[in-house]
Amino acid sequence: MTDDDHTGEDARTDPSRTEQAPPDREVPPGERTDGDQAERTDGGVTEEGAVVSETGRPSLKRIAERAAAVDLRPLDVVVYAIYGLAMVFFAFPVLWVVSASLRPEGELFSYPFRLIPREVSLSAYEQVFEAGMLTWLFNSTLVSVLGVAGILAVSVPAAYAFSRFEFRGRRGLLGLVLLFQMISPVIIIVPLYSVMTSLGLIRTRIGLILLYIGIQTPFSIWLLKGYFDTIPRELDYAARIDGCNRLQTLRHVLLRPIAPGLAVVAIFNTVLTWSEFVLAYTVISTESELYTISIGVYNFQNQFGNDWRAIAAASVVGMLPLVVVFIALQRYFVKGLVEGSLKGQ
Amino acid sequence: MATAGPDDFVGETVDRARGWVRRLVDHPLPWLLPTLIGLAVFQLYPMVEAVLMSFSDESLIRPETEFVGLDQYTRLLTDPEFYEMLRITGIYAFSSVVLHVLSGLVLALAIDYGVRRKLRAHLTTRVAVLLAWIVPGIIIGLIWKVMLVETEFGAVNYFLGQVGIGPIPFRSDPELALVSTIIAGTWRGTAFSMIMIYGGLQRVPQRLYEAARVDGAGRWARFRHVTLPQLKPVLFVTTVLVTIYALNTFDLIFALTGGGPGRATQVLALFMYQEAFTDYALGRGAAIAVVMLCINLLLTGVYLYAFDIGDEI
Repeated sequence: MTDDDHTGEDARTDPSRTEQAPPDREVPPGERTDGDQAERTDGGVTEEGAVVSETGRPSLKRIAERAAAVDLRPLDVVVYAIYGLAMVFFAFPVLWVVSASLRPEGELFSYPFRLIPREVSLSAYEQVFEAGMLTWLFNSTLVSVLGVAGILAVSVPAAYAFSRFEFRGRRGLLGLVLLFQMISPVIIIVPLYSVMTSLGLIRTRIGLILLYIGIQTPFSIWLLKGYFDTIPRELDYAARIDGCNRLQTLRHVLLRPIAPGLAVVAIFNTVLTWSEFVLAYTVISTESELYTISIGVYNFQNQFGNDWRAIAAASVVGMLPLVVVFIALQRYFVKGLVEGSLKGQ
Repeated sequence: MATAGPDDFVGETVDRARGWVRRLVDHPLPWLLPTLIGLAVFQLYPMVEAVLMSFSDESLIRPETEFVGLDQYTRLLTDPEFYEMLRITGIYAFSSVVLHVLSGLVLALAIDYGVRRKLRAHLTTRVAVLLAWIVPGIIIGLIWKVMLVETEFGAVNYFLGQVGIGPIPFRSDPELALVSTIIAGTWRGTAFSMIMIYGGLQRVPQRLYEAARVDGAGRWARFRHVTLPQLKPVLFVTTVLVTIYALNTFDLIFALTGGGPGRATQVLALFMYQEAFTDYALGRGAAIAVVMLCINLLLTGVYLYAFDIGDEI
């Protein structure tokens, strides 16, 4: 419902005045919609030709009419300006890095400035892949896929339990889960080394995967519980009458309606595990065979200092998989964020 | 009858097993057990360990460790550098919150308006903003490193040079370095505020706008007296979450400036990391971790209060 689409709304609020704007409401000329224009301004008198011939040049009224014809209001212009600024600020750095990564050696620093390189070269990418990018990509993919699978396997039953069971300590436990969701994992990096060592998980991918599962489940539980809560319990009862136990009910009846929630949790955690740096850096440490993208790229830039092309190429490869996944699925992503973070408002 | 015996036995066993599974499946514990183990091992235990470590002089280069009581804390609280870190963290967090929430609000309103008016490009804008948010933190640091190269060949310095400014030492000047981290942080963080506030806007009942319009309220009046008051809870929650997030920032600054020049951009998380892993003083690092934990807990309390979570659970 547009908040200025008053033709329809006025009709509802005041039926006697259909199609006419209330007289007490100021309507700036530019803010009128097509329909209003036709109804009000001309009254059969002001035809286009008349306006021009009277004054000999396009009058203000004429301009306003034309603006109304493409339906552009002053505020639209402001909003378009905001869009433009936002696109420059948010998209330009990414485009610039892509552009820098594609240049032959030396061209980055040549005048005049150009976003599209004169000559495309993949030499920076060769450099990145020689440094071990394939290993990092493999490790990050492995950690993300297994991590997300683990997170789902752990958080779906927990979310089901919080949504469907009544038990003592439920509120307290749920509060605890929320608390862990809020506390930043950065805080545990100091003890992490000794904790992971004593569990025999230091410098292992499985250790990192288990750590991600432990860290990310609280958020996933909260989000999934929200989805479970929206499913009527009658569905459960019906399944139980048909002889399903709870596990079968979850598998055959509830999993389908919460599928969007599962998708959101999966997308979210893919992004988080793929991007995570500080925990991976602490757990994987200097084991270069086990580097994830973030660690690999970070060490790469330490090594190549001021080779901006190479750093740009490493950045592009590191974010490309996420960008592709994200652009394909951003609708669900936004939906999940809005629903997940604002539950209980 | 002779053959019925074993069949009965098998049937009974199957029944018993089925009943046993049923009872197990009807109890919440098996459902929650993996979560509880995960939380205990990877969240609770490390936190307890951090607290214990903060009372010791544990170090990565000495094998033996002694209990030193509150020494790490007194040392921290009398260390002028600690207050410098607090100041830097405070400036970073405060500016981040103001910039994230303000730009998030403006973008959310602009996109909401665009959707309602069916303007072009609102989806592209949203995707552009969100794209910045999913880029891994380390890579954001590097992207801005490339953007802010300090000669006139850096993209930003080039454009500034065109209007007669610069070149500006974005990363080697202590104060500008902090500004650079804040800008890079805003580049990443605006999306979150935007989505939160956009979600809030969808929840404002349309009849409030209709009523305001009937009362003759103009656009500004409607924003001031309908939109803002309705958004207040969302704005508050967003502010708290962004604050927590900003206070714990690590990766982006680690890659962009590494805490430098000197210690000009060394926020608490980096300070902790440096003490623990560069100076090998785990005990001191742990004490900083406990300070961060307290700040996190305090802000979470505020968040819970805002959410009035008691009723929700």
